[in-house]
Amino acid sequence: MSGALAWFLVALGLGVVVARRRSLAVALVTGQALVLAVRAHSEPGAAAALAVRALVLGLLLLLVVSRTREPRPVRSGVAPLLRGGFAVTLALAFTWLVPTLGLASRNAERGVLALIAFGLVAVATRTATLFQVLGIVLVENGLALAALQLHTGSSAAIELGVAFDLTLIATVAVVFHERIFAEFGAGDAGALRSLRD
Amino acid sequence: MTSREVLAVAAVALPALAAVGSAVAPRRAVGALATGGATLAAVAAGAVAVETLGRPGTTAVSAWLVVDPAAGILVGVIGAVGLASVVVSPSYLSTVTRSLVRESRIPRFYYSLLFAFWAILAAVPVIGNLGGAWLLVEATTAVSALLVGFSGTPRALEAGWKYLILTSLGLGIALLGVVLLAATAGGGLDALSWQALARVPAGGQTVLIAYLLLLAGLAAKIGWAPVHNWLPDAHSEAPAPVSALLSAALLPTVLLVAWRSSRALAPAVGTATAHAVLVGFGLLSLAVAVPFLWRPLPWKRLLAYSSLEHMGVIALGLGFGGPLALAGVVVHIAGHAAAKALGFYAAVPLLSHEPRAGRHAVGGVARTEPALAATMGISLGALAGLPPSPLFFSEVLIIAGGFAAGRPWTAAASALLLSLGFLGLAHALLDTLAGRARHGTQRGRSDGMRTVTILAAVTAASLLALTVAAFWLPGSELAHNLAAELR
Repeated sequence: MSGALAWFLVALGLGVVVARRRSLAVALVTGQALVLAVRAHSEPGAAAALAVRALVLGLLLLLVVSRTREPRPVRSGVAPLLRGGFAVTLALAFTWLVPTLGLASRNAERGVLALIAFGLVAVATRTATLFQVLGIVLVENGLALAALQLHTGSSAAIELGVAFDLTLIATVAVVFHERIFAEFGAGDAGALRSLRD
Repeated sequence: MTSREVLAVAAVALPALAAVGSAVAPRRAVGALATGGATLAAVAAGAVAVETLGRPGTTAVSAWLVVDPAAGILVGVIGAVGLASVVVSPSYLSTVTRSLVRESRIPRFYYSLLFAFWAILAAVPVIGNLGGAWLLVEATTAVSALLVGFSGTPRALEAGWKYLILTSLGLGIALLGVVLLAATAGGGLDALSWQALARVPAGGQTVLIAYLLLLAGLAAKIGWAPVHNWLPDAHSEAPAPVSALLSAALLPTVLLVAWRSSRALAPAVGTATAHAVLVGFGLLSLAVAVPFLWRPLPWKRLLAYSSLEHMGVIALGLGFGGPLALAGVVVHIAGHAAAKALGFYAAVPLLSHEPRAGRHAVGGVARTEPALAATMGISLGALAGLPPSPLFFSEVLIIAGGFAAGRPWTAAASALLLSLGFLGLAHALLDTLAGRARHGTQRGRSDGMRTVTILAAVTAASLLALTVAAFWLPGSELAHNLAAELR
């Protein structure tokens, strides 16, 4: 995998961490998955799984955005620049701490670790429920990239599994998001703080 | 297909059919269909357990199916708890006032999800491939998250959301481990079968990283500390019959995947390393759980923290290895399932008897509802490890297994933590049954008490039988086979 492509995927991921608008973030993760689908053109099964998953999830999430219009943006409590800083720091830490993963290219390995780090930071620092779902999608996009970079060419089955799993999880998450929105008037995980010991 | 494989497929297919049937059946027929389906599915699961435990030396293994004694124990546990959960469900459903779906759809939605959860759970122990196991475990998250949030209350939504997000993230990390293993093993999905993983070449750094990622990710689903945050919330806010399935069946089933991974990859990462990871999670879970067992907690939350403790104990037993510790693990999984499920079922009459019990510790139940107190006493006494509870003997076996495995300090630390946990739960037991009722407590009738009393009698008999089994198991062919597979 070329360095430029890996960096492009990473830049899209970083965009999700700092973006304010939900629709923009949905577009970024969808674009990321579609880029991966194009990259997988030599393995039609994997490419098809990635493309279908990207489009289905993108449409589902955009539909949810339109159905649950927030009266005002859900504040995350951590400023976008700081979120971006955390994300880059964690990605660098992963790259430094984790030795070689055994993928086909070192650029891809760094890209995988960065996307996983960005996903974790998105879930940890965003309180908007939809952004937390997008954090999981980011992690899974990183895993999809890892599967495409296997020497053994078994990526189609893995992409299919990831696509199935992610669609299932996202569908359930959407059910919860809509109920949380109906209950609290905002898709804000910050409102979910009654269970403490 | 051998008869053993046919039984295993039936144990998965029957609850799956019941899920479809519950979704499409007329509303009035759903209850009867659920009871019938659960009975058939439990019989099939019981047959798998009897067949595998009766002939522990014989194992049906293929690239996609493994029906060994370990699978038999878990399928049997899932069947028994599944049936009991379906039996208790009408009492729970009679108390439901709101849900994620419209009132007219509640029974169909509930039973179809419950059976789908059961079917996917039953498939996990018998799947012969790590990739398949990962996919099934992730599928349990999707289905069970809907069950956790079933009541649609703000607290249930919070619990369901935390559970969905945290376990999905954890399983994402585990998937990275699976992908790396696929890269190392080579040869596509077949390379992820338990048999093929055992042939992964030793010494590679990538395999060690993959193993650590896999275990860390699965830990989030098992509820091992320090990634257990979802567990007390999900167990306390889910419908009681679902909490029973989550604690008694889901956690040990995912733990089986961790054990199979550890067993398969031990030659590649080193047996000592593979076991040390399990022991580390076990000790940490015990250390985190014990302080909570000393606090006055609502009944279901107390049971949830007890699950954290018991998953730690099982991890220790698997990490110690050897016939003694593994015999203890077998007894512990079965005993924990019986006692914990009964505890959650008791929550159904308890919450109608004392509605405050959902958010506060209860006290003095024996004065106002002796049958309920007896049920709660059997459950909590057994979970605390009060003799003759089988969990007392299983913990002794596991600690002894630790000494036998040459880990005296770890075994001693575990014994100390278990003693502290025992004291905490014993105090909770006394307070719950004979303590003072909280000021302003309003107590009413206990819905579903008859069903739960019958289950309490069955559970008490099962627990005594398990205690007897705990004396026989250490020298048995079953324990030696489980230990031999580890070497």
